[in-house]
Amino acid sequence: MNVATAPIVAAAPLNAAPLLEIENYSGSFRARNGDLTPVLYNVSLQLKTGVITAVVGETGSGKTLVASSILGIQPATFVRTSGRILLGGVDLVSLDEKGLRKIRGGQISMVFQDARAALNPMFTVGRQLADVHQRLHGSGKAEAMEAAVDAIRRVHIPEPARRARQYPHEFSGGMAQRAMIAMAALICEPQLLILDEPTTGLDVTIQSEIMDLILELSRSRGLTTCLITHDLGVVAATCEEVVVMNAGRVVETGSAETIFTAAKDGYTRKLLAASQLGEMAA
Amino acid sequence: MRIGIGILAFYVAVAILSCFWTPYDPLQPGVGDSYSPPSWAFPLGTDRLGADMLSRMMTGARYDLGIAVVAVFIALVVGTTLGTVAGYYGGVVDTIAMRLVEMFEAFPGLLFAMLVVKAVGPGVLNVIVVLSFAGIPTYLRLARGEIRSRRSWQYAEAARMVGNRSWRVAFAHLLPNSAGPLLAYTSINAAFAALVTASLGFLGLGLDPNTPEWGNMIARGQDGVMTGEWWISFFPGLAILGMTGAFYLLGDAISDVTDPRRRR
Amino acid sequence: MIVEGRPILQARNLRKLFPVGRGMLFAVDGVDLDIMAGQTLALVGESGSGKSTVGRCLVRLIEPTSGEVFLDGRSILGLNSVLLARQYRRVQMVFQDPNASLNPRMTVRQTLIEPLRLHLKMNRRTREARARELVEMVGLTTAHLDRYPNELSGGQRQRVGIARAVAVEPDVVILDEPTSSLDVSVRGQILDLLMDLQAKLNLAYLFISHDLQVVRHVSHRVAVMYLGGIVEIGPTAKVFSEPKHPYTRALLSAAPVAKWGVKRTRLRLSGEISSPIDLPDTCRLVGRCPFQQPVCSEARPKLVDIDQDHAVACPIVLAKTEGPPPFVGLLATPSVTAGAHPATLTQ
Repeated sequence: MNVATAPIVAAAPLNAAPLLEIENYSGSFRARNGDLTPVLYNVSLQLKTGVITAVVGETGSGKTLVASSILGIQPATFVRTSGRILLGGVDLVSLDEKGLRKIRGGQISMVFQDARAALNPMFTVGRQLADVHQRLHGSGKAEAMEAAVDAIRRVHIPEPARRARQYPHEFSGGMAQRAMIAMAALICEPQLLILDEPTTGLDVTIQSEIMDLILELSRSRGLTTCLITHDLGVVAATCEEVVVMNAGRVVETGSAETIFTAAKDGYTRKLLAASQLGEMAA
Repeated sequence: MRIGIGILAFYVAVAILSCFWTPYDPLQPGVGDSYSPPSWAFPLGTDRLGADMLSRMMTGARYDLGIAVVAVFIALVVGTTLGTVAGYYGGVVDTIAMRLVEMFEAFPGLLFAMLVVKAVGPGVLNVIVVLSFAGIPTYLRLARGEIRSRRSWQYAEAARMVGNRSWRVAFAHLLPNSAGPLLAYTSINAAFAALVTASLGFLGLGLDPNTPEWGNMIARGQDGVMTGEWWISFFPGLAILGMTGAFYLLGDAISDVTDPRRRR
Repeated sequence: MIVEGRPILQARNLRKLFPVGRGMLFAVDGVDLDIMAGQTLALVGESGSGKSTVGRCLVRLIEPTSGEVFLDGRSILGLNSVLLARQYRRVQMVFQDPNASLNPRMTVRQTLIEPLRLHLKMNRRTREARARELVEMVGLTTAHLDRYPNELSGGQRQRVGIARAVAVEPDVVILDEPTSSLDVSVRGQILDLLMDLQAKLNLAYLFISHDLQVVRHVSHRVAVMYLGGIVEIGPTAKVFSEPKHPYTRALLSAAPVAKWGVKRTRLRLSGEISSPIDLPDTCRLVGRCPFQQPVCSEARPKLVDIDQDHAVACPIVLAKTEGPPPFVGLLATPSVTAGAHPATLTQ
């Protein structure tokens, strides 16, 4: 499927089939003495194919835990007590490490909050992107580097050939996040892209450009995208579906329009009001 | 933690007891035959001069423990104060202090202690001064590093904004929060001080050779090791091992307790 | 520029340069500010703008390289440390990270009593009564007095930080990103508390923040900083509704709004903020600004009044304001939306 040249299309219909489905996912943290503290309670959500879904919540809502569970990179102290995570009929929870490795990168890739920490300081950015390309697509060295430079170009980093030869510390925070998005979305060519607070800690002007880039890539490639965030402002500007989480539970799910204009759940309304700081009337 | 404290408490108790009571006069030769092996009358045997080993061991606790504790205390107070000043104010004071520290740390501690004691002569006071001096650079460096890394912490700024004078910010706010590594080091330092005291004694440099100090006692007994009178060197050696070990255990425990990430 | 009210804390031509390896880092470069009694002046900017350095220079947590700071018309830069510490009776500060700004080994009571003991001659019983009054004033209970910071939530810690700042009843409080480490739902509560205290105690605030929404909510006037200098200053309502400086407009148009169907015209600046080391004597936006003209590189623009209480440091804006109609033309210029991307985000 050659989606790279496809024009920017409108958002996929919201009744699209789910690419990934989480069903009644519950889990606890195990303390050193063996005590279990529940942190996720029957989390159910769907990520529809070609749609940008936001998972919104504050500290302790469990949103990051859900995201890392999809990739099987949850903390070692986390114990699943029930539930399934289905990707195309396969329960990711049942996969062993080897099976998960096949999924990671190729089918699902993830972008983390601190991009500069996610890049290896010892290698050039281009090299790191090319390595992933070689591993996932079995390409030759030169071909992989070409793909890396091309990916860097497509995330609008100026002078991509020169930038590819630079090390992560020579990149600004925004630039490093672009490089990570290039890796996760363009080099990996996944079905599902998970972004965990990709713009937290970046300045607003940089943040808006990163979000534009994410929007552009996922629209043009029909990429199913899951945005983990605490910022409803970012959600309003980019997402089609919203899942609101609070204290380990999904409290409300719906289209972005419904969530922003006709939220039913009390917590969602509270969060909206707090995010708008009393501008509701305006 | 418990084991370390327990062993040290036993040493302290023995040292205090030795001030009031020992089975025999530790300095009195000929209370028994020379080279008596351990027996009911002399549980740890007697040395070449026929002095009671148990009495000498008990009195030795006073010296070895006392010297270590006093030396460490002086080094801790002086080193930490200087380090706090250097770390908080920085600038020239800091530069000079750190160059001096580096000079001292280039010397092995034991060698330094040997040279100085050789020069100024034996005596409890001299040994204490030398040992505390040898400890100061490390406390200075530790305290300076801790204070420096915390100087720009917001609670240091907050403490200034509340109206505290800078010395109060440094000593009342920053230092208590830096105590962990310093206290942890005191135990390691105490173990080192005990070893050096004993080493100086063994080399005949530290205290008067007749002083019932464990290092001296090992030195006196070393000939016996070859000829079968093992107890004269063995028990003081065991005492030194026990004391340094206890200090190390305590140090480990302190660094655990004072690390806020390991507490709730 | 005419500003209503009585100035409490003022800065004149404040500069702070840090020597770095190869040259000078221009953290703050020529800032003038007037914080008015009982009012909130917001200092807005992105990372590297120097806004926090300004706050710290105003209370001499960092010594300014040059310039003047006046408290009630009297310079505080010449004061020795004893006299300066006394001024902290009048000027206080709330820090960004309530986790780091409270001494982990002091209980809430000890934290609150310290400023009382240092500034006010109070006996033990009055101090205790005052501490109780303070915790209740900031929405905590007397049960919290015996807690240590690690036993409190982030919002509660920030309440303690605020109580400590207002304990000695200062005239002006520097708020350095007081809500940026808090969750949104807690953020609102803390802002309400701050506004409530301002009304009750007639406090003047310098509200340092990168969060435009918060600034709009709490401040009377706003100053926008970019690379060490103020590029626009004016009443909050005016700056938000009719931003003049290209940077202000770019910043406002980029800020996300948690509302459905907001369509905005985006003003994009090219590239990223330049290095603050050895800055040239030009407009700091040269190279990023879509309206750039040769005049921008001739000298560093000064703040010039475009209205009686609204000033902008941009020669292009000033040139346009001279001829009628004043601003309509600028906003309608097609180059406003110039950029590599589609200019509007439509849902």
